Amino acid sequence: MSKFFKAFLLAFLAFPFAANAVTVASWGGAYTESQIKAYKDTYSNPDIIQFENYNGGLGEVRAQVESGNVAWDLVDVLPDQAITGCDEGLFEDISGLYGDFIAADNGDGLIADMEANGVTNLSDCCGPQIFWTYVVFFDPDAFPGNKPSRIADFFDVENFPGKRGVHTWANGFIQMALVADGVKPSAVYTVLKDQTGAVDRAFAKMDTIKDHIVHWSAGAKPLELVKSGEVSMSIAYNGRVGAAVLSEGENFEYIWEGQLLEQEYLCLMTGAPDRENAIDFLIHSTSPASQAEQAKYITYGPMRASGIDIIKAGEPWFHTGIDVMPHMPNTPERLKVSVMGDPEWWADNGAEIDERYAAWMGN
Amino acid sequence: MEVFISTTEQILTTDGLPLKVSLKKAERKNKIRAFLLVFPLLLFILVTFVVPIGDMLLRSVDDSHINTVFPNTFEEYRKWDRNDLPPEEVYEAIFFELATGEGIQVGKALTRMNYSKSGWKSLIKKTRRQIKKIYKSGELPTSYKDTLIDIHEGWGDTLFWISMAQMTEERTLIYYWNAIDRTYDIDGNVVMQDEKRRMYVKTWIRTLKVSVYVTFFCLILGFPVAHLLANLPLRYSNLLMIFVLLPFWTSLLVRTTAWIVMLQQKGVINGVLVWLGIIDDDQRIQMVYNMTGTIIAMTQILLPFMILPLYSVMKVIPKSHMRAAQNLGAKPVRAFIRVYLPQTVPGMSAGGLLVFVLAIGYFITPELVGGKDGQLIGHWIAYHLKTTLNWGLCAAIGSILLAVMLVLYWLYNKIVGIDNIKLG
Repeated sequence: MSKFFKAFLLAFLAFPFAANAVTVASWGGAYTESQIKAYKDTYSNPDIIQFENYNGGLGEVRAQVESGNVAWDLVDVLPDQAITGCDEGLFEDISGLYGDFIAADNGDGLIADMEANGVTNLSDCCGPQIFWTYVVFFDPDAFPGNKPSRIADFFDVENFPGKRGVHTWANGFIQMALVADGVKPSAVYTVLKDQTGAVDRAFAKMDTIKDHIVHWSAGAKPLELVKSGEVSMSIAYNGRVGAAVLSEGENFEYIWEGQLLEQEYLCLMTGAPDRENAIDFLIHSTSPASQAEQAKYITYGPMRASGIDIIKAGEPWFHTGIDVMPHMPNTPERLKVSVMGDPEWWADNGAEIDERYAAWMGN
Repeated sequence: MEVFISTTEQILTTDGLPLKVSLKKAERKNKIRAFLLVFPLLLFILVTFVVPIGDMLLRSVDDSHINTVFPNTFEEYRKWDRNDLPPEEVYEAIFFELATGEGIQVGKALTRMNYSKSGWKSLIKKTRRQIKKIYKSGELPTSYKDTLIDIHEGWGDTLFWISMAQMTEERTLIYYWNAIDRTYDIDGNVVMQDEKRRMYVKTWIRTLKVSVYVTFFCLILGFPVAHLLANLPLRYSNLLMIFVLLPFWTSLLVRTTAWIVMLQQKGVINGVLVWLGIIDDDQRIQMVYNMTGTIIAMTQILLPFMILPLYSVMKVIPKSHMRAAQNLGAKPVRAFIRVYLPQTVPGMSAGGLLVFVLAIGYFITPELVGGKDGQLIGHWIAYHLKTTLNWGLCAAIGSILLAVMLVLYWLYNKIVGIDNIKLG
């Protein structure tokens, strides 16, 4: 056997059993790239951290925990899944350790620091990450006259002609429909919870532009749709739009009104193979400094209030030397016109609404 | 004869063993060796095929977990006469089972309860802490019913109790009914799902429709290509074959994305049509992000699976057959239909079955180009697997898919005969 072949075989065999490494499952792309730069590269022992891509959802998490063959330590999940995963015991309760998490400069601990930003920590098993949003954006060149400025304009194809890009699932779109129909952004979830027929109302509003929608399912798609002129406005993940503007020099504008703010969590797997290091890394990545650092590479907002303070003080913060706050979804004035996601309500009703949305789309 | 054999002495081998025994021994050795040779394969099939399918079938009817969390509640629930709200006993049972149940077990049960009625999850999560508090205080209430309704009005909502009828069987068919837009009413009768949510039947029909279309178009497009490939001189046919294989070897995602570029409203095809003046600029045709896009992209992607089996069958049909038919007086069309076509049936069947089977479970292409009405049933398997964790429903959809395939296979065998299939 040649030396080369031996080395190759060894590397191949050793790979799946790489010992003493914290495996973090995340969404991939520019987002994971920003996590690697902000969390891993700033960590005291970066060599033991490895990021792995997954497609979201709790499917693989549950499969790993149920089979007792846990390969991941930390998982990056959506807020409703943070709740469900914690309820089901797929993630480990670490609420007792929150005291060890790094405090803000003003002395606020993790929980208080999040509350200062308007969020209560949802799940006892996770550490906070970032705010991301479903936001409407457009290419200003597509509107030579009046430019759209309110979410109602998204639903007004007469004054603002052109197709609309919307995703193939309901979350984000139905909240925008309610705001466009006159519900105050801060009241959207109250209306959804307390008023019978609120969902019908949203669907009725969505009906008004149904024939003008192009449905996308992959996060990169809306940018292509708007850029190619296929649609004149689209809903997208705000970080994707920010990246296109800041890193690729595209000329896009946002309609902040009616944007849906969603949270993102890093959760500890039950039976994580390298639990100690994973917790240490989790504490590091949820620190205000790390949260702010991430905004250098992607325009998602820190969930800890003190993270935003660091960014503001350090502008121009983006790694290319541009101000990042104009693209941040959670500045105080934008929060006033935003819908704050209610993952608990969504965890309850999401499946039913998604099925209804699919029936609506295909009709 | 028998008498003759029994009276003669047994034939012995050199070791003194009867020949029969020795032969058996040698054969057994061979058999073991043969078995050991196929054993890895057998194990592989068991582990990767039989066990997962068995597991899927089991999961599709399994509702045992929730029955281990709320056994007494369900026991009392069965006795209830189904009028108004359940009696005190049901409330009492669920009170104690929530107060004493282990956190994670209850948590898992909640996820499942929410499939039957949205809201179970938060109703119990919101009230459980208070229930535990009361239980720990030792001052047990006189009326559990009033206490629970006091804590949260949801406990007085009959809709929650109606939905419980869907959970009380350890072996259940509810997931199968859910997969075809049906559910149980309070008495356990099968009824239609809420009208606004009905979309599984539609998706099933759409899945079959798209699969049939794709198979049909693949056949129509693949037949002439395969015929050309089989009958051209080698140097031309080899070149043509590369044109068939090159896309076959290209990544699925690249081909799907290429179709989006071709078909979208500001895309190549619409651009050419507008340039030629066939359509106006504001009449651009929507050919992608809908079912049309799904059918076009899937047809192109699955085409090689039709062409290759057809080609290999056509290759061995002697050219003399057509000539002979024409010599005997048949016109070319008649000769083709009566002599050539029947000989290609094995290839058409193999290709057709292959394309259909692949199409019915297709996921990524419809996901990307399907848009509003081009998504197939595979989308919902992925959705429930990842997002809702409703694996029972996933398994039921998967099992139905398997059953549809088996029925089609059986039909095919009846009509064409499975021996007739040929991949080359």
